[in-house]
Parts: sequence; C-alpha cells; structure tokens
Amino acid sequence: MSQSRKVALVSGGSRGLGAQLISGFLDRCYGVATFSRTKTAFITETLLRREQVDFHWGEVDGRDHEALRTFVKEVGELLGRVDVLVNNAGIASEGVLPTMRPKDIVDAVEVNLTTALVLAQACSRLMLRQGAGCIINISSVHAVRGHSGVAVYSATKAALDGFTRSLARELGPRQIRVNSVAPGYFDSEMTEGMPNEQKQRISRRTPLRRLARIDEVASAVHFLASDQASFITGQTLVVDGGISC
Amino acid sequence: MLTAPTPEQIQTAVHDKIRLVLAEHGKEVGPLSDADKLNATLGLDSLDLATLVAELEAELGVDPFAKLVSITSVRSVGDLVQAYKQALYPELQPQRQDDHAIAAALDRARERRARRER
Repeated sequence: MSQSRKVALVSGGSRGLGAQLISGFLDRCYGVATFSRTKTAFITETLLRREQVDFHWGEVDGRDHEALRTFVKEVGELLGRVDVLVNNAGIASEGVLPTMRPKDIVDAVEVNLTTALVLAQACSRLMLRQGAGCIINISSVHAVRGHSGVAVYSATKAALDGFTRSLARELGPRQIRVNSVAPGYFDSEMTEGMPNEQKQRISRRTPLRRLARIDEVASAVHFLASDQASFITGQTLVVDGGISC
Repeated sequence: MLTAPTPEQIQTAVHDKIRLVLAEHGKEVGPLSDADKLNATLGLDSLDLATLVAELEAELGVDPFAKLVSITSVRSVGDLVQAYKQALYPELQPQRQDDHAIAAALDRARERRARRER
C-alpha cells in the first residue's frame, strides 16, 4: 500500500460538524470519504465540485455493519488507503432515563458507539498494513461531566473515551494514534432546536461566555489528525470553553 | 487474486505473508513448516497476527476469523493455513477430531441433564 496523499474517512459527514471536517480535510488536500443514508445538499455540491479521486460518498446506513465494512474496503480500493478515521456519526438522545423508549436507548448505543467500533475495526486493518494511522472519536463534554436528561448519550460518549484509551495502547506499537475530541455545546443542527434561554444559561456558565463555533471544534480534530499531534495518543481533548474545568 | 486460489497457493500466500510481517521486524526465516508455532517459534505477537489477517484478507479475499474460526485457536503455521483452506474449500475439510470430542461432551451433558430431570 503506497500513495503519498493522505485519506480521511469521516462518519456522519453529510452535515454539521462532519461536513465542516470534510471541507477542512479537502482544503488540506486530503482525499476524503464519507457515507450517509441519503445525499444532503452538502454532499451533492461537494460531489459536483470535486473529482472522484478527492471525494467519495457512499449510500450506507451506519447501523448496517456489513455495509460499513464493505464501504471501508471500497474506500481502500478507490482512494488507496485510509490514514484518518473520524468517528463523528452520532444522534442526540435526550430525556430522563426512566421514561425513555427502549428503542431510543438501543439506537443511541448503536449509532454513537457500535458504528464507531465497527469502523475502527475495519479501518485499523488498513492502518496496520500501512504501518500508521490516526483514529479520532468525537466524544462530548457529557462524557466528562454528568448532566440531567442525557444519561444514555453520556454513557455512549464515555464508552467512546474508554475505547480511545484502550485502543491507543493496543495500536500504539504500530504507530496508530487514537484520540477523542469532546466538544461542549456548539452552534449546529443538534443545538438548533435548543431554546435561547438554555443557550444563554450555558453561555453564562462557560468561562469564555459563549457557545463554540463549529470551526473551533473542527480545528481540534484537524490538529489531532495532523503531524503536529504526532506524539499525542490516548487523550481526550475537551473543547468546551472551560465549562467542565 | 482473480480466481479462487488452489490449496497450494493458499499455503504459499500464508507463508509469504508471514515472511513479510517478520521482515518488518528485520527477521528472516528459512522454509516454514506447519509445526512452527506463530508465537513461540516465530515470535509473532497478537498485532502481528492481526496484520497477517489483514494482509491475507487483501490477498485471498476472505477472513476466516470473522465467523468460522476463533483466532485464539490458531497456534501454528499449519493452523493458519488450515483456517484459510477451510474458509475457501469448506467441502474439502475432513471433520476434525476435536469436533467429535465436543459432540461427545455435549451428548454426555445431555444424558446428565436427562438423569437429573428423571
């Protein structure tokens, strides 16, 4: 396996933080791959603007494990390698646990955690063959601090952080780095429906007195993916304006 | 590999990939035999084995450890070759002795349970 250009695979890349990450990787001259169940405007536009060798999109449901494995193989064949995996796909799961629908609990674990494990397994095989790689799991400030109404979401994100630490030890000897980025609240589709009052309360409690911009979260991911972070592994980088400190 | 590899080609592919992984550690080995232990004789660790499985999946197009065989049951070069032969030619595989042993143990367990229920 050889080819000088780096390739990043981003899950949940059709909108929000994922789309921001993809634009950033493309600007940095990476080949980029992502998948989603349907094409969003961002995907359609990016496919039009970019050559197929730069950007590859697949119609895949993240809960279909076999389809995920096939997609990773496809990316390996089409773009030549996978240097960076960003496990960004996730769903917000809100509500107090005693009254949550069991299906919502299972869905949150499946999308936020299992999809990440399956993708990391498939990509790590390519990375082992390459003798290098980088996996970044998008965690959350909820993995670090407890908050009422997000217990299931917190559980899935804290599990990702544990996964990060153990996988970093497991794959470190083959120069594969594994890290987490734990964003606080940032302006995105996930917080779009949040009442203004709640946003203001979060801003007041945040030492930097505001929510993050989406590009501030993406920058942390791009940094960890870069050679500037070549000796950083097994860490959770919290990007929350200080709310958890 | 465009057509299904022959059993001999499977063995050659496994041996070649073992040499490739060992070469990454700066080790060279002579002819490999089925009895060579992957860890004790050749010094391959679990990540080496994972690399080997990834390389062989790319070469042979199958991963016997996804469903058929447990990776922990693979101790020797022969075990590894056998796992790929079993994945690619299931019809050629004679029933293994330990399959008979497991079946006999299950029969004994069933008899014990039946005696208790009586």
